[in-house]
Amino acid sequence: MNPMKFLAAAFLIVGAVPLANAQDTKPAVVVPSAPQMSHGEYVARAGDCVACHSVPNGKAFAGGLKMGSPVGAIYSTNITPDKETGIGDYTFDDFDRALRRGIAKDGHRLYPAMPYPSYAKLNDDDMHALYDFFLKEVAPVKQANMKNEIPAWLSFRWPLAIWDAVFAPSGKYVPQSNHDAEWNRGAYLVESLGHCGACHTPRGIAFQEKALDDSSTAYLSGANLDGWSAANLRGDLRTGLGQWAKEDVAEFLKTGHNRDGAVFGSMIDVINNSTPYLSDDDVTAVAAYIKSLAPAENQPAYVYDASTTTALNSARATEPGAATYAGTCAACHGNDGKGFAPYLPRLAGNPTVLDKDPASLINLVLNGAAPLVVKGAPDAYRMPQFRGQLNDEQIADVVSFIRNGWGNGAGAVTAKQVADLRKTTDPTSDQVTVLKMR
Amino acid sequence: MVNITVNGTQHQVDLEPDTPLLWVIRDAVGLTGTKFGCGIAQCGACTVHVNGQAMRSCSVPIGALEGATVTTIEGLSTDSKHPVQQAWLAEDVPQCGYCQSGQIMATVAFLKQNPNPTDADIDNNITNICRCGTYERLRRAIHRAADLMKA
Repeated sequence: MNPMKFLAAAFLIVGAVPLANAQDTKPAVVVPSAPQMSHGEYVARAGDCVACHSVPNGKAFAGGLKMGSPVGAIYSTNITPDKETGIGDYTFDDFDRALRRGIAKDGHRLYPAMPYPSYAKLNDDDMHALYDFFLKEVAPVKQANMKNEIPAWLSFRWPLAIWDAVFAPSGKYVPQSNHDAEWNRGAYLVESLGHCGACHTPRGIAFQEKALDDSSTAYLSGANLDGWSAANLRGDLRTGLGQWAKEDVAEFLKTGHNRDGAVFGSMIDVINNSTPYLSDDDVTAVAAYIKSLAPAENQPAYVYDASTTTALNSARATEPGAATYAGTCAACHGNDGKGFAPYLPRLAGNPTVLDKDPASLINLVLNGAAPLVVKGAPDAYRMPQFRGQLNDEQIADVVSFIRNGWGNGAGAVTAKQVADLRKTTDPTSDQVTVLKMR
Repeated sequence: MVNITVNGTQHQVDLEPDTPLLWVIRDAVGLTGTKFGCGIAQCGACTVHVNGQAMRSCSVPIGALEGATVTTIEGLSTDSKHPVQQAWLAEDVPQCGYCQSGQIMATVAFLKQNPNPTDADIDNNITNICRCGTYERLRRAIHRAADLMKA
């Protein structure tokens, strides 16, 4: 099977999920790698171009995915080599300029939903390989780009030039001599191709990522996106990945889950299309780099507190969420909150539970975990959804109970937070989440 | 290879570690009193005790159970005279009966934690589903069992 057919087939099964929480989407399937994946396809995989430049059940790379931006909805574009509607007439220099500087062939400025501030760091080898992949390996698809839904008075693109001058660096990745080759490879993959910061770094007032590398502790320190909390990937002991070993990070990127849980939100697209296809060496390098990120905050280490377990065992827990926990959660996660690693994640000390932003935990209780299929086998133990069984108050109470139990100390959530997420994650609602600019 | 004790008998289980406990109980050990309902830990038909706690066996992987002690409906009593079983008979709870083994196992674990439950306690804690809708009889039987266990 040629690589394009393979990609298209993979995409039809996988789909980019525009509503991260929609439960009616088909199970996500990670298809085994094509034999002899070209260098260019490998780079496209690492950059996860397909996630944004496609729609569910559409042709790979033909664009059309709707994304929210501060000025209105925009649509990703056709990047197949079709001469009329795609990038078929792009020279290498045109392609290079679009990826590094966000300027299209006709001179118009791209919106920074395209992560060109990250792609600017690509090395020339990878850029050439990527160009060759898109122009020679990807099959052209004739599909006109959608018109962006931005009011006319806001649609001038010249202010983007100022944005670019202020916020978008243009330099290629420069290896840091005080780190080894593995670290530098990991930094290159994370900061450039992986554009991890597009989701995991908080954004500033002009919607720019607050940092594009580890020179600031804002880098990869977590951000709210599409009704989920894109996790803090730094070494914070409670709210970051301080408790994960390098192996835990690598396992997550390879399989979409580890002892602390399974992938959720937009990261599902990354697992479906990108990181499992990377070589073991590259995944290990990414993990090494992630593990080198210093904590953004000094936090006391998590310490397990058994008093919650004792109270649940003797029905003496008096918090409003305790009964709901005993009736709906304990059958899998246990009165001790320890779950059954690696299949059923612990709630005691789990970074997703300790997260300052409770969005992911609420979202998981409301909507359950998305179907995940790794190497052709569906996951055996999936978090079911409780949006039909529990009302806003009950979910707020049980999530607060979990966030405070067993020494978690993460703080309560309100019924309004649950109600808001219930509305924006309901596939039948007219207020569903639209993918944000990333 | 996982060692578990089911109803007092030791078993060595040589299955994939992500095999659900329910499959082990029904297919490997051969005890079919525990039923399959929804398969996603929602309905409670497969409830058994793992180290004394009520768990939904369809959603507990055997690989996480090394050394665990499991009790199924068959192991609850030798003569079917457990107070909860007696209360079940007295109140004539079962209609089709499919959910009963799970209901009984959930109730036994619940009454150990809470010997004097209110109706609200029962509603909150016994989340097992009965498609025949015998919830009124279930609630009466749970109160009766609580009284029997105190006597």
